Amino acid sequence: MESFLDGTLALFGSYHATLIFFLGLVGGMLFGAIPGVNMLTLGAVLLPFTASMNPTEAVMMFSVIYCAGVFGGAITAILFNIPGAPENAPTCFDGYPMTQKGQAGKAIGAAVMCSAIGGVASAILMMTATGAIASFAIRAFGPQEIFALIFFGLAVSASIGAQTLWKGWLSVFVGLLIATIGTDPVAGIPRFNEGSIFGWEYSSYYLSAGIHFIPLILGFFAVSEVLSQSVSISKGTRERPKASLDFPSLSEFWQVRFTMIRSIFIGFFSGVLPGIGATLAAFLGYSQAQRWSKNRANFGKGELEGVVASETANNAATGAAMIPLLALGLPGGALTAMIMGIFQIHGMEPGPLIFINSHDLVWVTFAAMFWANVAIIGLGWLQTKTVVHILRIPFRWLAPGILILATVGAYGLRNLMIDVWVMFIAGVLGYLIKTTGYSAAGIVLGLILGELGESAFAKSMQLMDFDPMGFFNRPIAAVLLGLGILAIITSVISEIRGTEVQKALMD
Amino acid sequence: MSMSGWRKTFIGACGLALLAAPVGAAEMLEKPDGYGNRPITIIVPYGAGGGSDQLARAWADAAEKVAGLTFQIVNKPGGGGTAAIPDFMLARPDGYTIMEAIDDAVSAYASGDIKENPAEDWSPICMTQITFNQIYIRSDDDRFSDWKSFVAYAEAHPGEVTVANLGKVQSMERITMAQLEESTGLKFKQIPFDKPAERYGALIGGHVDALFEQPGDVRNFIQADQMKPILTFLDERPELFADTPTSKEVGADFDPLTRFRGFYVKSGVPEDRIAFLENVCKAAFETEAYTKFNKDKYMDVIDSFRDHKGAVALINNSAKAYKEMYEKLGL
Repeated sequence: MESFLDGTLALFGSYHATLIFFLGLVGGMLFGAIPGVNMLTLGAVLLPFTASMNPTEAVMMFSVIYCAGVFGGAITAILFNIPGAPENAPTCFDGYPMTQKGQAGKAIGAAVMCSAIGGVASAILMMTATGAIASFAIRAFGPQEIFALIFFGLAVSASIGAQTLWKGWLSVFVGLLIATIGTDPVAGIPRFNEGSIFGWEYSSYYLSAGIHFIPLILGFFAVSEVLSQSVSISKGTRERPKASLDFPSLSEFWQVRFTMIRSIFIGFFSGVLPGIGATLAAFLGYSQAQRWSKNRANFGKGELEGVVASETANNAATGAAMIPLLALGLPGGALTAMIMGIFQIHGMEPGPLIFINSHDLVWVTFAAMFWANVAIIGLGWLQTKTVVHILRIPFRWLAPGILILATVGAYGLRNLMIDVWVMFIAGVLGYLIKTTGYSAAGIVLGLILGELGESAFAKSMQLMDFDPMGFFNRPIAAVLLGLGILAIITSVISEIRGTEVQKALMD
Repeated sequence: MSMSGWRKTFIGACGLALLAAPVGAAEMLEKPDGYGNRPITIIVPYGAGGGSDQLARAWADAAEKVAGLTFQIVNKPGGGGTAAIPDFMLARPDGYTIMEAIDDAVSAYASGDIKENPAEDWSPICMTQITFNQIYIRSDDDRFSDWKSFVAYAEAHPGEVTVANLGKVQSMERITMAQLEESTGLKFKQIPFDKPAERYGALIGGHVDALFEQPGDVRNFIQADQMKPILTFLDERPELFADTPTSKEVGADFDPLTRFRGFYVKSGVPEDRIAFLENVCKAAFETEAYTKFNKDKYMDVIDSFRDHKGAVALINNSAKAYKEMYEKLGL
C-alpha cells in the first residue's frame, strides 16, 4: 500500500510524468478507437523515442497506452459494429444490437464502467500477488491445459447467435475449417494456398498468411449491416436508432455482478498465460457469460451482459499481462514485448529481481495502470455524452464513412489486400447468413479458437507421444475437458427437449 | 504576427537551413541522380514490435542520418514472411521499395515453398544481423547442468527428451537439430512452438527439457540466470560464451547454419542505386546508435555485416546446405 502511494505520488508529483500519463491515456484511446491503427501502431512509432526518455516514464507511458488502447475500440464496436481493435470484437455481438434498439448510451456506459472495473480489479490483483501468480501459471498451464481451456471455450460457443444448436455447431465448424487456411502451426506446411475450385486454378502467397478474424468480423458485422440497412432504406422500412444517452442504472450493474466477477478471473488468467492475451480473454468471457446467463437466448440480440462480459475480460487481461513480463521477463503479446524492449534499451532486464532492483519503476507503473483505468471512467463518460450524437447523422451519409473505416481497418491490420477482399466477401455472406439462422459470431469464434486450439493440440500430442488419454493424467486439463464435454451433453439434451416441447405446443 | 512577418521569419529560417545544409551534406553520402528525393518504403514481413521490425526501424533511423533519406516502414506479417512477397514483387524496380528478409526466405526457396531466389530475383543490399544458435536448459534443472550431463540423461531416456523449437520442418532451426541428431546419434522430441513467448514459457514452466534459440532473443533470461546455454552451434567458442562447448567440439562435424537478417531490393534496380544503398547500409551499420542496437541484441558476437557480394555468397551457401539436408532427410 505504501509502495502504491509512493508510486502515485511519483506519478502525479511531477508535471512531466502527469503530462506523459495523460498523453498516453488519450493517445491509447484514440489509436484504439480508430480502426486500421491500434495501440501497437502507436507503440511502434513511439518506441525509438523511449531511448531518450527516463525508463520509468517510458514504461509507465506504454502501460497507460495499453490500458486505454484496450478500451478505446469499444466505442466503434458498439456504434458501427466495427471493433477498433481485436480485443473489442465480441463487444460487437451485443453492443451493436443495443445501439439499434436505441440503447447506445447504455452499451457505451457499460463498456466504460466494465473496462474500468476489470482494469482496476486486475491492477489490484497484479499489485498483491505478482511473482507467485506468474510462476504458478507458467508451471500449471502447458500446451495440454491451454488446449483444454480452448476446448471448453469451443464447447459453449455453438449456442451464440444461432437459431438452433445444430446451426450453431455448423457455424462453429465452418469457422474451424476456415482456420485451417494458411501456414499450419505444426510443420509450417502451406495449406489451401494453391489448388483449384471447379477447374479454376489459383495460387497465392497471400493465402499462406491465413484468414484473419478481424476482416471476417468487419465483413460479417459492419459491411453486411450497411447492406441490410440500405435494403431497408430502399424499402422504406428502416427506423433510425434513437441516440439515447441513458447510462446503465446501478441495479442493472448489480444484476450482472457475477458475469463481471467471472470475466475478471477469465481475463486475468488469460492475460497471465503467454500467447492467450486480451483478445481470447474477451471471447472466453463472452462465451462463458452466455453459458451461465439466465437471458441466454437474448445473447447476440442486444444483451447488456454480453457487453459487460467482453469489456470486463479484455481490460482485466491488461494488468495480468504485466505479471509474466515483470516477474519472468516473458512478454505475452506485442505491446508487452515493446515494454520489454524499453527495459532492454535502458540496460535493464525484467525478471524476479526487478521488484527489488527497480522498485520505483514497478510501482509507478502499477499506480499508472490503476489510475489509467480509473481515468477511463471520466474520459469514457465524456465520450458517451458526445460520440453518441453521431447516430443522429442520416444513415446515407454515415454508410460511406462506415465502409471506408472498415476498409481501412481491414487493410491496416497487416497491410495485405487479401484482408480487404475477405472483408467484402464476408460482408455479402454475412448479409445472406442473417436470414438463415446460422451464426456469424459462431464462425468467428470457430476461427479464433481453431487456430489456437490446433497449435496447442499438436504440441500436446507430441509431448504425450500421441496418446490422447494423456490429457486426463493432468488434473487441470482433465477438469476443463470434462466440463467441456458436460457442457456439450447438457446443451444437446436441452436442445432436443426444447424442440420436443415446441413440437408439442404446435400440435 | 502578421502574415508578412510570418513569411519573413519562414524565409529566414529557410535561409539558415540552407546555410547550414552544406555543412551537414559534406558528411552525407552523395545520392545518385534523381534518387532518394521521396520516401523509400521498407516492407517488414513480420509484425510491429518484433525483432525484425525493431531492426528495420533502428536501421532506417541510422540510414536517415547518414544519407538524408526518409523511410516509411510497412509491416506485412503472415505466412512466416511469405505473405509480403507479392507486394514486393509488384513494386517497380526503382529502388524505392526495400524488403527486409531473413534466412527463412532462403529455406523457403530451397524447399520450393516460394519461387523467388533471394540471391537472383532479389538483390541483397546488405546483411546487418547475423547470429548463431544455442541449446538452452533451465539454470535450476537438477537433472543436468551441462552438455555432458544432458547427453547422459538423453541416452538414459532415449526419445524422451523434449526440445522446444520452431514448427517448420525445413527451417534453419529444425535442420540444425536434424544435423545434430544425425552426427551425434542422439534422438530428441522436437515440439513446435510458433510464438516465441510460448517457447520460452514452455522451458521456464518445465513443459519441455531444452530450448533451441538464438542468444539475442533470450538475453534477459540468460542474464537473470533463468536459462543457460549448454551448446553453441559454431566452430569456435565466441568470447562471450567461453564456457559453453561448440557443436564441433562435441563431435557434431557440420558447418553450422546461421540466422541472418538483411535488406533487399528487386533485381533490375539500376546498378548505381544498388551501389548507393549498399554504401548507405555500410555507413548506417557503422553508426554509434546502430552498433549499440546490435550489441544489445548480442548481434556483435560474430561478424554481423555482409555487403552485397558477401550476402549473395551467404545466401547461396545456405541454400546449398539446405538442399543437401532436405535430400538426406528425404524432405
